[in-house]
Amino acid sequence: MAAQGGQDAKFFQRGKIQEFRAELQAAEAKDKKFTKRKTVLKKIVANITMGNDMSPLFTDVVQCLAEQIHLVIPSFLQDCNDRNPLIRALAIRTMSYIPIPVVTEALTEQLRHCLKDRDPYVRKTAAICVAKLYTADPRKAEKGGFVEMLRDLLLDSNATVVSNAVAALSEIGDRQDGVIFKLNLTVANKLLAALGESSEWGQIYILDSLLRYVPERHTDAELMAERIIIHLQHANSAVVLTTIKILLYLMNYMENRKLMDYICKKMGPPLVTLLSSGPEVQYVALRNILLIIQRRPSVLKNDVKVFFCKYNDPIYVKLAKLEIMYRLAREENAREVLAELQEYASEVDIDFVRKAVRSIGRLAIKVQPAADACIQALLDLIETKVTYVVQEAVIVIKDVFRRYPGKYEGIIPTLCENLDALDEPESKAAMIWIVGQFANRIDNADELMDDLTYTFMEEPVEVQLALLTAAVKLFIYKAQSDTSKALVHKVLKWATEEVDNPDLRDRGFMYWRLLAINPTVAGEIVLAEKPAITTDSDRMDRGALDQLLLHTGTLGSIYHKNPETFIRNAAGKALTDSPALNPLSRQVLVPLSRPNIPPAIHVPGPGPPPPREASVSPVPPTAKPAPPAPPQTGDLIGASSSADTLDGEGENEHESGEHGDEDSLASPSGSADPYANLDNAFGSYLADEPKPQADDHLTRLF
Amino acid sequence: MAIDGLVILDSTGRPIVQSGFRSTSPAYPLLHIEALNDALSKAPRPADADPVLYVPNTGIDGPSACCHVKRGELRFLGLMSGDTDPLYVFAFLETFISILRDYFGQLSAETLKENFDVVYQLLEETLDAGGHPSTTSINALKDIVLPPSLLSKVLSVAGVSGLASPGTNSHPFASPIPWRKVGVRYNSNEIFFDVAEELKAVVNKNGGIIVSSVWGKVHTNCRLSGTPDLLLSFSNAQPLTDCSFHPCVRLQRWSRDKNLSFVPPDGRFILMEYKYTPGGVHHVAVPFALKASVDCEVNGGSFDVALTSRLTTKVLENMNVELYLGEGATSASCVVSNNTSWNFDPRTRILHWNIKAVSPSSSFSLKGTFSSTAEQPRPSHAFRARFEIPQHSFSSLKVDQLKITGEMYKPYKGVRGRSTGDVEWRW
Repeated sequence: MAAQGGQDAKFFQRGKIQEFRAELQAAEAKDKKFTKRKTVLKKIVANITMGNDMSPLFTDVVQCLAEQIHLVIPSFLQDCNDRNPLIRALAIRTMSYIPIPVVTEALTEQLRHCLKDRDPYVRKTAAICVAKLYTADPRKAEKGGFVEMLRDLLLDSNATVVSNAVAALSEIGDRQDGVIFKLNLTVANKLLAALGESSEWGQIYILDSLLRYVPERHTDAELMAERIIIHLQHANSAVVLTTIKILLYLMNYMENRKLMDYICKKMGPPLVTLLSSGPEVQYVALRNILLIIQRRPSVLKNDVKVFFCKYNDPIYVKLAKLEIMYRLAREENAREVLAELQEYASEVDIDFVRKAVRSIGRLAIKVQPAADACIQALLDLIETKVTYVVQEAVIVIKDVFRRYPGKYEGIIPTLCENLDALDEPESKAAMIWIVGQFANRIDNADELMDDLTYTFMEEPVEVQLALLTAAVKLFIYKAQSDTSKALVHKVLKWATEEVDNPDLRDRGFMYWRLLAINPTVAGEIVLAEKPAITTDSDRMDRGALDQLLLHTGTLGSIYHKNPETFIRNAAGKALTDSPALNPLSRQVLVPLSRPNIPPAIHVPGPGPPPPREASVSPVPPTAKPAPPAPPQTGDLIGASSSADTLDGEGENEHESGEHGDEDSLASPSGSADPYANLDNAFGSYLADEPKPQADDHLTRLF
Repeated sequence: MAIDGLVILDSTGRPIVQSGFRSTSPAYPLLHIEALNDALSKAPRPADADPVLYVPNTGIDGPSACCHVKRGELRFLGLMSGDTDPLYVFAFLETFISILRDYFGQLSAETLKENFDVVYQLLEETLDAGGHPSTTSINALKDIVLPPSLLSKVLSVAGVSGLASPGTNSHPFASPIPWRKVGVRYNSNEIFFDVAEELKAVVNKNGGIIVSSVWGKVHTNCRLSGTPDLLLSFSNAQPLTDCSFHPCVRLQRWSRDKNLSFVPPDGRFILMEYKYTPGGVHHVAVPFALKASVDCEVNGGSFDVALTSRLTTKVLENMNVELYLGEGATSASCVVSNNTSWNFDPRTRILHWNIKAVSPSSSFSLKGTFSSTAEQPRPSHAFRARFEIPQHSFSSLKVDQLKITGEMYKPYKGVRGRSTGDVEWRW
């Protein structure tokens, strides 16, 4: 190790694979003191360090050393019994790095002693080595009783040993073939006692392991929360977020409303503190806050200002903040939020400007008393004539029309003046929808449509679909007009005869038949009263949210997807039922299926079909490595179905709506929200989407 | 919950140090490095690259992610998979960086290469092969990995091992307190507290404060012998909210009576961080006023800025006002008040205006024009002003007393305040 400390820079010379191979072979002869081999190996290590891929040499290096392994083992064994605990620990650690049967064999025996070593440094190292041994040979580790020995270490007197044992058991438990790691109340309390003396990393392991404890009584969860809440004040941001994760988890098993409110209140400030750190930490915090406030809206309820963007924030921070601002917006703060959004609409970054403009429209839809001011703001923005601003404004105004029918149609002429500015499919389709839907209020609607259809054959499908529907609507409104008659005929002919896209063709045929069979009924269908858009739908489904929050702080919470679906080595998590679990969480419980359990196969035979086992695999068991998609309610469980099941659940959770907790999500469902299937109304609005996503076609055009 | 490994890249994006990656294929780190360099080159500004980069295809290892931070010319990557917490990775990277700083002083590709053996030893001790952070406390680390200067000295005598020879009284991990060594000795016992506060604010064009907050840190330099147990009390701790503490602080005691009770680590550390929330008034005032008008024309524009101090006794030092002139800005020409200077950085397209000292109630002005290749220039809608106020704290936090128990000596205590500000002023 470092025989020439500080002078090793001379090894940093780029070499070729071939040369090293030759040198390795040459070094095997006449090299009793291993000096030649050492030199070559150092050069290779230096080259790896410099980023040269030395992996082709792997076999050569192993060959060069393999016959020496058995020579080394005795000295390993000797070191395992050294007087110096550092040497003993280093010996087993090094052995655990070499997953060769002879070494594993030798390690197994030594590990048994080291786990009971009188020195805590050796014990803590040994604990981690058990996880390594388990990776190398799971069955050997189990037969050797190592998992039990690790469990014994959970009660060790040294906090670092305890936390390393927890880390090792967790690692084993997260393996698909591993021994499941569960905690009972006694052990969980013992771990909590070690929490205070652990290093920050140890605290994270111990806190995280509490997810493996399922409270059986409300009071157990409540007492535990009271014990860990103090760790919200830790300087290490990961400790803070892990503590929050556990608090959120325990709250699922609590009954004491006061305590839950208190916890929610306590979680706000540390989250805000995370926002004073570097942009990287801010980003992780923001993505988590976005999840947390959907489940526990009272957290940070009055802190929307904290999320106002600074112009030099990195774009990923800005977009995440924007989404949270929208979520926290309500009547009391709508004015401030709108003023900020208007400010952002004049910023430099185009992507951000677009999202800001859309957010103004979303704000209008979400907070009714602010709608007038938002519409005025959008009109002011259209005045600027900046193309991308105008386009975004048109897109959101379309939704505003649907949210407040009969209220803002007076601004249609202003929109029509800007028709030429629209060159993107989404905004064009939105404008065409407006022209078709309100053709009776636009004097020159047929002229406009005539112009718009001029390029029909060159337009993308979503615009073509919009044109088709709009032409039909125009015809129904103005059946007497020759222009509209000619227009609808022309468009239907194109759609059914010239276009290859089956959706467009099918829709064309459908309209054609409708119009041919009974134009009056066609009018009633096409211009039927549309359900108004609400913003309830862009919330995440409660069961999915409960599950995602078990991943607070982790990759899953960044991408808002369960990690086992998109990341290697990730284990799924699910709330576990217990008498203490709050009834609403139980209703929407998404059970977890271990991927290695094959789904039950039903062989058809005589007799009635067996009842479908609901618990087998509602979650697709195969971990599909798909890139994280946005948190669309669409790919989770349908919002409408959860709304049904939530009926009448409210009173178990809260006495009144003033808590504003997501537990009260049930309340609007009493009116059986008919618009829940509009879940994708904001599909592409998700300002915080970290990955590109597939285009969200305007499929609900009529 | 484990970190797959750590990689350090130089300024050109080439790896100079990387940890073991024993559980993955050799291509795993390389694919991440490639993905990161790719993302950096695609981002409009390197700072805009996603800090938790999703790496969908890493060959046989499956999808994973890469957390990265830039410090100086170096970029530190923490590779991760599974149900790992990115904050945990960032926290570890931050810790490792501060360890490297402590060992080598300035961080550069050169120093890391020169001392790559020490760097690897540090990696080995701080992040074990399973990806679990282990010993990260500087005090404990220095017992097992000797800093470079000492190392070479010891080696020249002993000649073999890089391990510190465990002396009788400095046995590693012998200390019952993980952050403090046993047997620390100083000839003069002293402890210094540096209260550093930063005002962060956003101000609208009328001078109204939209957001303002003060964040404080108590930097501590402890040079005390033995195992002192300290009790630090403030005369006005009430407005301190959202506090977070070094692990040495007894949290229960703070929640009870807002006193800090702790056995300090040896050397430098951050004792606590807090947010200052003044009672009654909503905002902490911004200590200066900015009047600005910016007009954009075709291929350029003009601006007129006046800055006035609102302080009555103290001086604002190193005031730096900057304005991003927008994509395509090529040059600027300005007239400024005496004792101030300006420059335009064509690379970042930022105009800087520097005022060494803004004495109480004084005013300064900046007038000028800029040209741009953009027909309709879009300069940012806000100025950024940064400044320092030495010997000042926004919170007027005062140390009341420091009691020491467990040791007989009477230490020298020093308390200093300093403040900085970072204000976004919209126009």
